[in-house]
Amino acid sequence: MIRLHRVTKRFAGGTEALRNVSLRVDAGALAFLTGPSGAGKSTLLRLIARLERPTRGRIMVNGRDLGTLARHQEPQFRRDIGLVFQDHRLLFDRPVHANVALPLEILGYRRTEARKRVRAALDKVGLLQKENAQPQTLSAGEQQRVGIARAIVHRPALLLADEPTGNLDPELSREIIQLFLDFNRVGMTALIASHNLGLISTFARPVLHLENGSLEARHVTQPRSTA
Amino acid sequence: MKDGSDRAGHLEAWLYNHSEAARRSLWRRAHAPGQTLILVAVLGFILALPAYLWLLLDNARALSAGVDHEPRIALYLDLEGGETLADAVARIDALPGVAEVAAIEADDALAAYRESLPDPALLDWLEDNPLPAIIEVLPLERSPEALAAMEQQLATLLPEATVISDHEWVRQLEALHGAGLRVLLVVSALLALGITLILAVASAAELRERHEEIAISRITGATDRFLRRPSLYGGLLLGVGGGLFSLILLGIVVMMTRSPVEEAALVFGVPFAFAGPQARIGLMLLGAGLVLGWVGARLGSAAALRD
Ligand SMILES: Nc1ncnc2c1ncn2[C@@H]1O[C@H](COP(=O)(O)OP(=O)(O)OP(=O)(O)O)[C@@H](O)[C@H]1O
Ligand SMILES: [Mg+2]
Repeated sequence: MIRLHRVTKRFAGGTEALRNVSLRVDAGALAFLTGPSGAGKSTLLRLIARLERPTRGRIMVNGRDLGTLARHQEPQFRRDIGLVFQDHRLLFDRPVHANVALPLEILGYRRTEARKRVRAALDKVGLLQKENAQPQTLSAGEQQRVGIARAIVHRPALLLADEPTGNLDPELSREIIQLFLDFNRVGMTALIASHNLGLISTFARPVLHLENGSLEARHVTQPRSTA
Repeated sequence: MKDGSDRAGHLEAWLYNHSEAARRSLWRRAHAPGQTLILVAVLGFILALPAYLWLLLDNARALSAGVDHEPRIALYLDLEGGETLADAVARIDALPGVAEVAAIEADDALAAYRESLPDPALLDWLEDNPLPAIIEVLPLERSPEALAAMEQQLATLLPEATVISDHEWVRQLEALHGAGLRVLLVVSALLALGITLILAVASAAELRERHEEIAISRITGATDRFLRRPSLYGGLLLGVGGGLFSLILLGIVVMMTRSPVEEAALVFGVPFAFAGPQARIGLMLLGAGLVLGWVGARLGSAAALRD
């Protein structure tokens, strides 16, 4: 599903966020991505979602070579991906349900059907009662969960989650990871960046450890089987 | 993505996408009523100006056509050399394109003149009749070109006659009307360009305001076409709104200027009813609004989505 071959990302300022990173996440796998702040976790996820371009190296996602992906193919490519942002990135000009409905709108779901799916997704993150709330009235953890609902509402083939439990208490954190595992069981591939080593270690899933832009322990993740 | 049955079929999806985009643009316009009204008013004023000019030109043409005129050509001739007036009349009558010929003998003209004087005796000291005989020719065709050709024909037929026609002012009016149309065309083109730019700037600004929504939508797989669709509907909406507003303005301006124009026409001795805007002008204004609205929004959204 995801393959990086000797990928380097150097930003305009000269920072090398990623150095010669190679990794492979098979379809159907769920892997965690850890490492200290500034190690390059977000950068790696953004490269995979093609929000950034690598300075060097090759990235293949879902059978597509991102180096040769034309601009007009980008939308189709992104429709198979769900993204959870570290900073949520909710739209504050509309209520929660409209935020979650955005991917469905783009995919052309009928409104009644979209509404049903939005409610199901909000229910899964425990926010059904906040359906009509404005995002700015929500707590940081609630906002984070709205972002998670938006990422999974269209059942993407690949989930890229950047610190999805950063603002959540231990119990909720566990529930959210469990939710991702449930989706993984029905076929969703996932790469989840997290600081929370304690939490991660309780799930028997592969862990990729980034340190200073380099992949330290280059686990090649096994296909799902432990589920 | 898995079960397509929850998503609409191809045509249905297309229709649904469009109706959603239209609904969203309407919603957005409704939530910025002040800005929407100002834009509609600006477009209305700009569209109403050339429409009113056109109306004036149209009325001016109706005025020149409505004034009687039988464009007569008068020939003044000194009958010497034995030719009689009747001969000349017969020769003119034989010309092609002549509808009517009338003749006034020099003596009759003098008699009529004498009648008009307070003291007819004033003319008694004249030895000869100084007045020429007059032939009036009414051509079949009345276009300026036909009149000019007829004049030419008469001048060659009777080289000794003085040919005077009263259609000069028709030709002048015709020329003025042509120039007016040309001016109107150029002014309209410039104003259309102005409208397009205004709408382009407005829709680009609107898209930039939606910058975060667009960024998120793109990440979720939205195409440019999807992202600009509400703006295009917004442009259409503003354009049609501007067209409607310009019609209302035109109606008001016509009501305010009708009687002064009609009075002025009366001073010139021409009874004249100022014609208001016809359905054709209305359709043209709405059509212009529609097209310019779409084009402007398309240009603006292309510029805004490029980055
Ligand atoms: N747009 C950018 N321009 C310049 N430098 C950047 C940019 N984005 C990230 N960096 C740098 O790249 C490095 C890796 O950043 P990244 O956000 O990937 O770290 P991270 O592992 O996600 O950290 P955290 O755990 O704090 O979220 C950092 O040194 C950061 O300063
Ligand atoms: Mg990060």
